[in-house]
Amino acid sequence: MDVLMPQLGETVDEGTVGPWRKKEGDSVAADEVLLEVETDKVSMEIPAPKAGRLSQILVQSGETVSVGTVLAVIQGAGENATEPKSDDDKSAKPAAASEPRKSATVTLHPAALGVSGVSMPAATADGRKLSPAVRRLVAEHNLDVERINGTGRNGRIKLADVREVIAASGSAASPPATRSVVAPAPPADQAQSANSIPFNRVRKLTAEHMVASKATSPHVLQAVEVDFSGVERARKSLKESWKAQRGYSLTYLPFIAHSVCIALQEFPNANASVGNDELLLHSTVNLAIAVDLGTDGLVAPVVHGAEKMSLAQLADAFQDLATRARNNRLKADDLSGGTYTLSNSGSFGTLITAPIINQPQVAILSTDGVRKKPIVIEHPDGDTIAIRPVGILAQSFDHRAFDGAYSASFLKRVRTLLEQTNWFREV
Amino acid sequence: MNMSIASTAVAGQANADLTSETRLKLYRLMYECRVLEKRAYDLFMQNLIKGTSHLSLGQEAVAAGFGAAMRKDDYTYCTYRGHNHTYVRGVKMSQILGELMGNTAGLMRGKGGSMHLTSVEHGAMGSYAIVGAHLCIANGAAWSAQYRGTEQVSVCFFGDGTTNIGAFHEALNFAVVWKLPVVFVCENNLYMEYTPIGDVTAVEHPAAGRAGAYGLEPVIIDGNDVDVVYETAQRAFDLARSGGGPTLVEAKTYRHHGHSRADPAKYRPDEEVQEWLKRDPLPMYRTPLLDLGVPDAEIEAIEATVNDMIDQATEEAKSAPPPDSSLAFTDVWADGGSAWRN
Amino acid sequence: MAELTYREAVAAGIAQEMRRDDSVVLIGEDIADAGGVFKTTAGLLDEFGPSRVRDTPISEQAILGATMGAAMTGLRPVAEIMFSDFFAVCWDFVANEIAKARYMTDGQVSMPLVIKSGNGGGARLGAQHSQAVENWAMAIPGVKVVAPATPADVKGLMAAAIRDPDPVLFFESKSLYSAKGDVPDSEHLVDLGKASVLRSGTDVTICALAMTVPRTLKAAEILENEHGISATVIDLRSLVPLDTQTILTETKKTGRLVTVEENPRLCGWGAEISSIVAEELFWSLDGPVTRVTTPHVPLASADNLEDLQLPSPEKIVSAVRDLVD
Repeated sequence: MDVLMPQLGETVDEGTVGPWRKKEGDSVAADEVLLEVETDKVSMEIPAPKAGRLSQILVQSGETVSVGTVLAVIQGAGENATEPKSDDDKSAKPAAASEPRKSATVTLHPAALGVSGVSMPAATADGRKLSPAVRRLVAEHNLDVERINGTGRNGRIKLADVREVIAASGSAASPPATRSVVAPAPPADQAQSANSIPFNRVRKLTAEHMVASKATSPHVLQAVEVDFSGVERARKSLKESWKAQRGYSLTYLPFIAHSVCIALQEFPNANASVGNDELLLHSTVNLAIAVDLGTDGLVAPVVHGAEKMSLAQLADAFQDLATRARNNRLKADDLSGGTYTLSNSGSFGTLITAPIINQPQVAILSTDGVRKKPIVIEHPDGDTIAIRPVGILAQSFDHRAFDGAYSASFLKRVRTLLEQTNWFREV
Repeated sequence: MNMSIASTAVAGQANADLTSETRLKLYRLMYECRVLEKRAYDLFMQNLIKGTSHLSLGQEAVAAGFGAAMRKDDYTYCTYRGHNHTYVRGVKMSQILGELMGNTAGLMRGKGGSMHLTSVEHGAMGSYAIVGAHLCIANGAAWSAQYRGTEQVSVCFFGDGTTNIGAFHEALNFAVVWKLPVVFVCENNLYMEYTPIGDVTAVEHPAAGRAGAYGLEPVIIDGNDVDVVYETAQRAFDLARSGGGPTLVEAKTYRHHGHSRADPAKYRPDEEVQEWLKRDPLPMYRTPLLDLGVPDAEIEAIEATVNDMIDQATEEAKSAPPPDSSLAFTDVWADGGSAWRN
Repeated sequence: MAELTYREAVAAGIAQEMRRDDSVVLIGEDIADAGGVFKTTAGLLDEFGPSRVRDTPISEQAILGATMGAAMTGLRPVAEIMFSDFFAVCWDFVANEIAKARYMTDGQVSMPLVIKSGNGGGARLGAQHSQAVENWAMAIPGVKVVAPATPADVKGLMAAAIRDPDPVLFFESKSLYSAKGDVPDSEHLVDLGKASVLRSGTDVTICALAMTVPRTLKAAEILENEHGISATVIDLRSLVPLDTQTILTETKKTGRLVTVEENPRLCGWGAEISSIVAEELFWSLDGPVTRVTTPHVPLASADNLEDLQLPSPEKIVSAVRDLVD
């Protein structure tokens, strides 16, 4: 059967073949990585759609071809080398080598899932039928349906039952932009060691990226403590109408983002990249928002032109990106072009985080938990202690790009904006 | 009651006041219609025209007489047998032949075909292939003209078979009740498709015999005498423009060919055909023209010019490319597209 | 904002457009002096006069033919076909003439017209005066199909339909004519082809149209209060153009879809929506798409029989519970 150049995003219509991991004539297991494909947005691994022999490589490394082009041909066991290419339906039968389950299996159309070669049961062993949504989720999370408790009629496993299992195990959906680089589930006959958790592709990419960033940029951490009283007042009074109008809650994040955008325009060196002995300033603020997607990894979708947006527009944009991230609907364009990153661990109540810079940017700001704390209010008539919502903003910056005083001034500006802006007017 | 229309027409006598210029114009229009339909027939035979086609060979005087009497902004509504009625409004021959051949020279670039020739810019508001409907639609254009006060007339051509469908009766009653500026022209060619009209109609004159039911004067004219047709048209239009309401005209005529491409018309007695061929509107008009002193050479010159026209039009139509495949999906909606969902 | 009945909102929508555009005219049986048999055109003759509001004979073909001819020569006519069942006597004009003119003429002809009609059951009028036939219309390429559920939508959609450059079949739900609701006094337009999400839930998405909208909302309340099932309710408002994006988005959220239509079972609009969702959302469905329809029988006249036939809140509740369990 044919291995095709996949579509890596709605705005992408071609891809470049990277290194082949297999040679012509090699035998391959289903889901084993065959080659890498690159676009200007992402790089991904293409797994073998079925087990067999890699009989033909049609496109060599370095060649750029359009989506849908046949990259290689895999000849299944027992197939004649000169046999006409079989269609997808025929190849839907699971290859013997990767047949892990007793129950009937089907193969989803890869386009429907964004993953290749996933097979999944159509029913439980005792014959309870599984809905398409359940089958899809089970496959995506590599779950064993026999161990899911069905709460529907006659023990039917409902979508909610699967979601519960996923939530309990902390296995969130893999991030969409990297969905196509998710390593396929290892064949069942390669039993996993009880003591090791093999990195999946996202984990590997994240690891590489982090090491590279630390190796490239001398990181310096600076933090300021911010009094969020003004923000909190506005947030509280608007909370309900906001939720009613927009269907989601107003968090601290858009306030911080709005202030950061203003400050970045005044401190353009922080909205930049390091070039060849030069600092490249960016004309717009493309704000990346790190979104944690559970143990599988991290994505940082980008709000383009954030400096031109109102607070409400920023909030909408974050909501949109977060929703699409969770629904696996991010496009390649959503993940590119960031110029500054916000990393938000606030909801976990962290005190301070030292974030790692999202290359090729030069700074990243972590927003941590906001807690009520007693603080000293200085006043000519005598200092008093007040209870205020306070949180720490911590910025890691690339010391190649600028120095501590510049970063500190920037942070001070962000703090002043957050504390002194009339947020009622901004919202 | 409109005695002026009926009296002239029934008498069958052309108005001697017509100038020879008008007469030559009428002859030329008929001649153009004749060669156009003949060429359409030839192109069928060469398989360059697909589908069906309904020719008006032998019935040219009706289209020519009414067409010549119409104002530029009047409306024509005609049937699937509508090549001539569309042509006489000023449409180019190549636009008609192109449409018959289904290519981009055509009026609708192949989207309508022989039975739906339309040229809104010429007031040819469409050829309708579901019998009877367009009488009601012609009323709408007349109503619009009445409402806008433009004194435009809506002219609706149809065959004898139409008089037995409900829409004919609804349309006539409606037009009279609303006093609409519409002229209904029944071309009675004696056959509804393959069946003699007399076999299936309760009255002798399929249109005129029903006129009285709607308070209209029965008007029967010789549809092969173009002078009579022309004058009847003028009178009916004058009446309509002056707010006098609709006219129903029954023009007796005969088609030289079958109902459509598929019909050899074997059901018609030979003697009948021979009788009507003697009354072919073209020779019937050419001879009196000569008698009136129009030089033969002048007529021949017209005929030669028209013969060149049709050859040129044929070449133009033949050489036009087929419609781009995208046209299959355009103009369902006013936005130019065909989307029914987002 | 004023409280109007659904029937008053029809006249309000037409009047709004007649005031701003002289080319808008209205014809139909008993629509002028009598104000319409359903009183949906009351007051229009007085305000706009007999040349713009004109009674016709009982000649549905003549009515639609005149409407078409007027639309293609510069007017924006609105025609009333008293009962939508009567479309059967003039369907040539809808299906063969009006719908196809623009396409066949390669865009030469415009057809800015509206055909309004009393549609659907519930009035004990028997099988020939009770049909919901919006599904007939959506089967024909070239006509838009609108069926509002609230007085505000009646006014806004009627106005939008009149302004639309394409032919619109406007189905008024007879059983809702007396329903009341707030309607904006000022100029009001509702875009054609935009569904309205009336209620957001987590367990099931229900699509409704016209008279099934209030019944579905009632069912959603029962589901929530008595069965702990949380339903999203979509009022489609328009079948052509069809707001599939809203249907798909809302169905994806819950993984389940129920359509509630007044059409008899075979080829009702719910069938088309089921097919779209099955094709495009298969892997997100947690159960079969389920249809609540009128059964495939003519409607009876007796109260208890007709009630048994039409979609009811109880039937909707039961269908949803079957699906969600």
